[in-house]
Amino acid sequence: MVECLAREFGYELIEMNASDFRRSRDIDRVAIKSSDKLSLDGRKKIILMDEVDGIYEKIDAGAIDAILRLIEETKFPIIMTANDPWANQLRSLRENVLMIGLKKLGKREILEILRRICVAENIICKEDALEYIYNLSSGDLRSAINDLQAVAEGFGKVDLDLTKTILRRRDRELDPFETLRNIFGSKYAWQAKNAITNTSLDRDMLLEWLNENLPNQIQDPEDLWRAYENLAKATIYTSRIIRTGDWDLLSYAIDLMGPGIAFAIKNNEKDKWRWVKYSFPERIRELSKTKETREILNSIASIIGAREHISRLRAKTDVIPFLRIIFQHNTDLAAKMALSYGLTDHMIKILAGEKSSEILRKIKEYQTFIQKISHEKEREHEKREEKIEKEKKTKKEVKKEEKISGQTGLDKWWRR
Amino acid sequence: MSSEILSQILWTEKYRPRSLKEVVNQREIIARLMKFVEEKNMPHLLFAGPPGVGKTTVALALARDLYGDNYTRYVLETNASDERGIDVIRTKIKEFSRTAVPPGVPFKIVILDEADNMTADAQQALRRLMEMYVETTRFILLANFPSKIIEPIQSRCAVFRFMPLSKEDVVERLRYIADKENVEYDEEALEVIYEISEGDMRKAINILQASAALGKVDVETVYKVVGLAHPKEIREMIQLAFSGKFVEARNKLRKLMIEYGLSGLDVVKQMHREIFSSDLSIPEDIKVTIADYIGEINFRLAEGADEEIQLNALLAKLVLLGNKIGGVSSRKH
Repeated sequence: MVECLAREFGYELIEMNASDFRRSRDIDRVAIKSSDKLSLDGRKKIILMDEVDGIYEKIDAGAIDAILRLIEETKFPIIMTANDPWANQLRSLRENVLMIGLKKLGKREILEILRRICVAENIICKEDALEYIYNLSSGDLRSAINDLQAVAEGFGKVDLDLTKTILRRRDRELDPFETLRNIFGSKYAWQAKNAITNTSLDRDMLLEWLNENLPNQIQDPEDLWRAYENLAKATIYTSRIIRTGDWDLLSYAIDLMGPGIAFAIKNNEKDKWRWVKYSFPERIRELSKTKETREILNSIASIIGAREHISRLRAKTDVIPFLRIIFQHNTDLAAKMALSYGLTDHMIKILAGEKSSEILRKIKEYQTFIQKISHEKEREHEKREEKIEKEKKTKKEVKKEEKISGQTGLDKWWRR
Repeated sequence: MSSEILSQILWTEKYRPRSLKEVVNQREIIARLMKFVEEKNMPHLLFAGPPGVGKTTVALALARDLYGDNYTRYVLETNASDERGIDVIRTKIKEFSRTAVPPGVPFKIVILDEADNMTADAQQALRRLMEMYVETTRFILLANFPSKIIEPIQSRCAVFRFMPLSKEDVVERLRYIADKENVEYDEEALEVIYEISEGDMRKAINILQASAALGKVDVETVYKVVGLAHPKEIREMIQLAFSGKFVEARNKLRKLMIEYGLSGLDVVKQMHREIFSSDLSIPEDIKVTIADYIGEINFRLAEGADEEIQLNALLAKLVLLGNKIGGVSSRKH
């Protein structure tokens, strides 16, 4: 559609899509440069930012800001497309543009377009084959046209049998078990890499699965160490990616976690194909099982962190171990500290273990003690109030008497 | 008796210096900072140095000296290790920095603790704020590893390097606190605390307080406290790995990290100490090999690599070495 527009108005089309790097400086370079000059042949330009919902803050740092800048500065129209215009990172963009929603194409429309293409291109075409193509495309016109072209180019005709043999569903994903088996059993590096490309697991989960199952598959200690060393190096790359946003590094991480593991198995090659029952990453299960305990520990860390001006992590590593010692050995001091920091029963239990009931008892004692003191204070306060009241009254009476006694009283009042 | 007697807090909080004048160490740095307070003007600051040497204390003391006891009204304190993403910069910190300075106040201060834990894009965003709002707001960044702060930020800051505290400074402070708290102590015990804490004042004071909670502070109590602070699982984990039980060792590791909430760096450092302690019979040359590898893992963790996987590699190495040692002893038969 944007291409049609550009042609209709005679504008030159400048395109940036997801395959280009779209960090802020990339956008600044490409777009801002081109946005204030006319094109070489003096035509005006139209800027197309394809698939802006594919901009990720981490990878394309500052991209959205750069686009906003561009919108403000440019003399030419900018058109952006997005599959999901409601993506979070697009919030600020949405406010600055006119949004035009395009509906997904229905079966009737897609079939109609395919038919028109067939007529225009002189292709003999069976209706059931077109329906098959439509079903594969799940509403995506581009992929339907590509599929139609793939079949028609080679054979000049399109029928169901031909279509079925040529077109298959796009690459099927491997489940976690297949993924691991393919990685371990790879004879060539590309096989291991393919397994990683086609896995249904996301990168972090794949790392978890491998981390969990290396010792299940690999028995020789040297092989096991080699495999872990490569996996560990892979996570160095992934952490560098997160820190720098440089996704070029991903391929090295994949090399290390795929082939790096497959070919770590050297001393005992049989391990590669040994059948093992892989298990779900225990660490994930453990994390969800201990969630409550960890949350309580975190809230202790928050309390301590705020008072000590340190992070929760540092509170956990530098302070809480010592709190534990105090709570497990000196219940008296522990009770006082618990009161001073406002720790809950759960928190005390985590810090003190079996000593917690003793601490809780002492806290009750102290609390009644504090109440008693504050009661006493209140009573003292009341007494003082009463006294003051009384004094006021007597003063008033004195004043009255003074008023009654006249001149002398006034004199006194003035002199005060 | 009043209810104040019940109030017991950590001594690190109770005895934190409130004013620059009270800070006993880092004398040259303090002198320059006091000049800033006097002139009521300062550049952005970057305090670099290991934990527990007084970076946060000095930053807070500077703020208090500038603004008085109500200093929190003009200071925003955040910890990048708790809130490390770009969002904090764009919302909380930006909101604070852009608002006008109240009359009579020269500028506001943002204290950004553990700034080296900020992501790269957060640092980029921060750099812009530092330029845009320099009139209203000065930043004090605190970092263990200044090399992890991007160059453009470093060049906008006056950098102060904090040194680990000297033995005299630490022991003197411990003695001061112990006297104030009426704690019975051996002089030698205070020196041992210094040795163990490696110039980290927070650690030293925590050890002192926990020891005092156990009774008289003597050398024996101090070692007991340090032993208790390090979970016994560390040694068990090492022994399991050496005897070839990788999966069991890994379970211990998970317990340490998930239940105790230890960081990978903690585990690595405590493993290092255990390896060289006399309680484990490891051949001396193997100790060196292990230390070398532990150092490598330590470096990777500081870089931010996945903690459990790094440590699993270390455990697998121990299994491998244990296997070799086992081979040696079987040859004797």
